[in-house]
Amino acid sequence: MADVKHYNQKPIRNAEFLTPPNLIKAKVGNGGLSNQLLMKTQKLLEEHAQDLTPLAKIYLDRMAEGIEQAKSNTEEFSESEDQISLILFPCVQLKANGTMFQYPLVTRLADRFVQFMEVVERLDKETLEIAEAFYSTIKIVVSSQIKGTGGSQGEQLVEELNAACMRYFAKHKERIEEKKKKQEI
Amino acid sequence: MSYNFQNVKVLLVEDNQPMANLITTVLRSFGVGEVISCLDGQQGFRKFCHVNPDLVITDWMMEPWDGIKMSKEIRNNPNSPNQFVPIILMTGFSEKRRVIAARDAGITEFLVKPFNTRDLYRRLYQIIERPRQFVKSDDYMGPDRRRMKLGQDEYTGVKKRTSDYPDGKIPISESDQLVVDIDFN
Repeated sequence: MADVKHYNQKPIRNAEFLTPPNLIKAKVGNGGLSNQLLMKTQKLLEEHAQDLTPLAKIYLDRMAEGIEQAKSNTEEFSESEDQISLILFPCVQLKANGTMFQYPLVTRLADRFVQFMEVVERLDKETLEIAEAFYSTIKIVVSSQIKGTGGSQGEQLVEELNAACMRYFAKHKERIEEKKKKQEI
Repeated sequence: MSYNFQNVKVLLVEDNQPMANLITTVLRSFGVGEVISCLDGQQGFRKFCHVNPDLVITDWMMEPWDGIKMSKEIRNNPNSPNQFVPIILMTGFSEKRRVIAARDAGITEFLVKPFNTRDLYRRLYQIIERPRQFVKSDDYMGPDRRRMKLGQDEYTGVKKRTSDYPDGKIPISESDQLVVDIDFN
């Protein structure tokens, strides 16, 4: 039998290996940075953090726009990456900025939602309900200026939203597996 | 003795001004002599060609050019003054397919937001103390995407280079696999 695998083998690429000069090492020298300096810098980072509220408002508004736009398309159950991105990207920004500006609970909630959106394969009524729940929760955390972890209430919020995501995954297990396979291809 | 960043020029490309201010504070505290800021990848590439910095730190999601597009230009554009410059890409994304996309654009280090001082320092340390060879092929120009884990003498991921097989025959089962052995931490 003909070796089809051999026929389909990807062509071998010619690659050149280069060793560039380590210019930055030549400039900075040796010894690393001291633990003391790193701690001092971390303190500076925390002290210089500006108010998250105006920044969060921009991203929350964009997220709300994305949700509204998707809602008007739910009859078609949009599978468009662009449509998902309209909701996902502002939330990625909330995740990125939350802890940097002293709101780790915003980062934690946004991270859960980002991971959820990376897995879902389409925007349907249920995903949009989950998106709205995350949006409203993050909005409340920011407007109430809940800095830090939010304590046991913060934990409870994360757990409840997490549970909603898990219920969705359990219900749509096959579809999600299919998307995962497509991405791997 | 410790690192002296006084003569180091850093190009920081970040459209979020409060975030850019925070990162500048950290770099200044590390002793970096010059931090040049830009608001998007297109402006960033122009500035890169003009000032030829020692290091580029860039956000991913920006318009009109994002950090990935800018990194590809730095690595491949004939006008680029230094195709080998270390590039740190910052992003709120952490999903594997996104990390792979960034890696394939030729970035040197991947830094997930939110991050702390130590996280940024670790990336700098890697760049200074453990620089990688560059690979130039028909479809890729950037740091070697194979990375050995600390304490290992040999690469343990999928092998599909001709140099891995002195007899010139790459086993089909291995050449068909996608290289996903990444460890940016």
